[in-house]
Amino acid sequence: MLFEVRGMSKRFGAITALADVSFHVRAGEVLGLIGPNGAGKSTLFECLACVLPADSGTVTGAAERWRMLFYLPDGIAPWPAQTVEWALDFTLGFFGGRAELRQKVIGQLDLSGILQQTMGTLSKGQRKRALLGIGLLTPQPALLIDEPFDGLDLRQAREVQTALRWHAERGRTLFLSIHQISDAARLCDRFVLLSSGRVCGEGTAAELAAMAAARDSSKVLGDLEEVFLALT
Amino acid sequence: MRSRRAVISLLEKEWLELVSARAFWVLLVAMGPLVGVSFISAAHTYAEVSGLNGTAAGVGEALSPLIGVWAPTFSACELAAVFLLPFVAIRMVAGDRQSGALRLELQQAMSPLTRIAAKALILLAGWGLAMLIPLSAVLLWKLNGGTVYLPEIAATVAGHVLNAGLAIALAAAMASLTEHPSTAAILTLTFTTGTWIVDFFAAVRGGWWERAAAYTPTAMVAEFQHGLVRLDAVLATLALIVTGLGVAAIWMRLGVTVGRRVWESAAMCAMGAALVMACTLSSASRDLSENRGNSFSRADEQALRAIQTQLRIEVHLAQEDPRRADLEHHALQKLRRVMPRVEIQYVAASSIGLFEQNTARYGEIWYELGGRKEMSRVTTEEGVLETIYTVAGVTPGAENREEVFRGHPMATEPRYSGFIFYLLWPALLVGSKWMLERGGSQ
Repeated sequence: MLFEVRGMSKRFGAITALADVSFHVRAGEVLGLIGPNGAGKSTLFECLACVLPADSGTVTGAAERWRMLFYLPDGIAPWPAQTVEWALDFTLGFFGGRAELRQKVIGQLDLSGILQQTMGTLSKGQRKRALLGIGLLTPQPALLIDEPFDGLDLRQAREVQTALRWHAERGRTLFLSIHQISDAARLCDRFVLLSSGRVCGEGTAAELAAMAAARDSSKVLGDLEEVFLALT
Repeated sequence: MRSRRAVISLLEKEWLELVSARAFWVLLVAMGPLVGVSFISAAHTYAEVSGLNGTAAGVGEALSPLIGVWAPTFSACELAAVFLLPFVAIRMVAGDRQSGALRLELQQAMSPLTRIAAKALILLAGWGLAMLIPLSAVLLWKLNGGTVYLPEIAATVAGHVLNAGLAIALAAAMASLTEHPSTAAILTLTFTTGTWIVDFFAAVRGGWWERAAAYTPTAMVAEFQHGLVRLDAVLATLALIVTGLGVAAIWMRLGVTVGRRVWESAAMCAMGAALVMACTLSSASRDLSENRGNSFSRADEQALRAIQTQLRIEVHLAQEDPRRADLEHHALQKLRRVMPRVEIQYVAASSIGLFEQNTARYGEIWYELGGRKEMSRVTTEEGVLETIYTVAGVTPGAENREEVFRGHPMATEPRYSGFIFYLLWPALLVGSKWMLERGGSQ
């Protein structure tokens, strides 16, 4: 186990964004955080990465979180005046990133054509790929990515999935927040189901299906989407 | 090794962010005409005073390039530091937050203070580039036969660098505190105008307002522009810069509750205030002006230093009475530098003194030393010194006539100034920006 989250809660005034969230993350796995919009996925990631202060809860096994995990938020457009190539090199220099992976990541994410483009001029999909490149070059053992496929077309999404799987196979732990359950089902080893700030289930697709079946044996649960609907 | 690499990467990043910021180039381009207007009009007046077109030649202090040319020329930097530089600093700090870069960068274990210090350092380097424009005026003056006294130029530049540091620290604190750059800009300008209000109240009310006004950026820059470097002003400014950057670092952090940040900011401000108070206890100063405009003659200073007994001066003049300003600027400020233990007390029933003119003691200046008392109504340097010598029973040594500042008249105006400041500098800067953008896009 890489780290364990226990009893994490976060409120924004009267709104409960996270309520007593607990789960664990195993080293080298691809863990999917699945939930509808507004479920609290981004809030959970931000609390884990200490971008937001959690009201309560602990993360065991991660004494210094900045050493353990790197969080890649969704919807950001950093360093708009700098080129993609500069952003990748800055990641290597500033974060002490994995220089040996630079060319591999550029190839995997098809970044070579946009290396000289400034970050501010990229399309949504291009920016997402550039940001994924930054995330994959960071040195932390766990990478938290908020909506890794947002803005990507089908072909690009498949290529990114292949790239992420390649990195996971080499020991990188990936924790992905995904609202498209079909994408998550294709890539992730295990899942954490989040709904209205609460964890509704944790486990592999088979374990979750069994959990859902135990709740309501009358339903036939064909895929992860149905399992998710049954558990949330 | 890794952290050193991270700091170098950060400095490089901040530099690239600065040179890609249009606000910075606007500042640089605007500096050309701003400096040009000040320099050309100052040099023209200076030439007229020196005898240009048959006008009567001036003497002494009037023909000090520091007072006649450099103080007005460099005052363009003060304008830029108040109205342009804060926007560049706000853009640098708030830009990271708005783009989301901050959320990535803060996941590096570097302390927020290091991060904000790196920004401040790069902004100061940028300010250094902007200062090349007034410094080019110095070069132009020299090339046209003018006299340049480097220590006083250095004092002027140092004052404007400190002032820029203050503007950067304040803008950084405001940009970190607020969610939006426009709010930060409003708060920064509010703070600056607040210091002007302190200056205004000081002129009207005196007392504590006057003491506080001695440490406003305007007062600090004015002293440097007159060649006076006061250690307390330098230290107090540095303390304020550190406090501003500290507050910026506190609010730059993510993942910390607002309550904790408020407490930490309050503690930082209290510490800053205590530091500033401690700095005011220092009385060391250095007059770097060639005309020694902030000092008595060396013979007088020697005579005054020999007086060991504490001198008390009681001035019966109202705050807004012009004689009081005359006395302060021409005699008492200089006296405090030579005799730090001198006790000066102002006595007045009103701030304007208009209705006190007929009061028995109004206008009197009483000098008391070792039980002896003398009264005088003279507010000039010579009159004050004469009374002090009388009450102290001291005879000053003869003034060295060769040391007396005779002035550096220059009855010609520097050639090509208009071309250089209105055309060459802006064209060079616009061209540089174009080249940089072209290079970046290729």
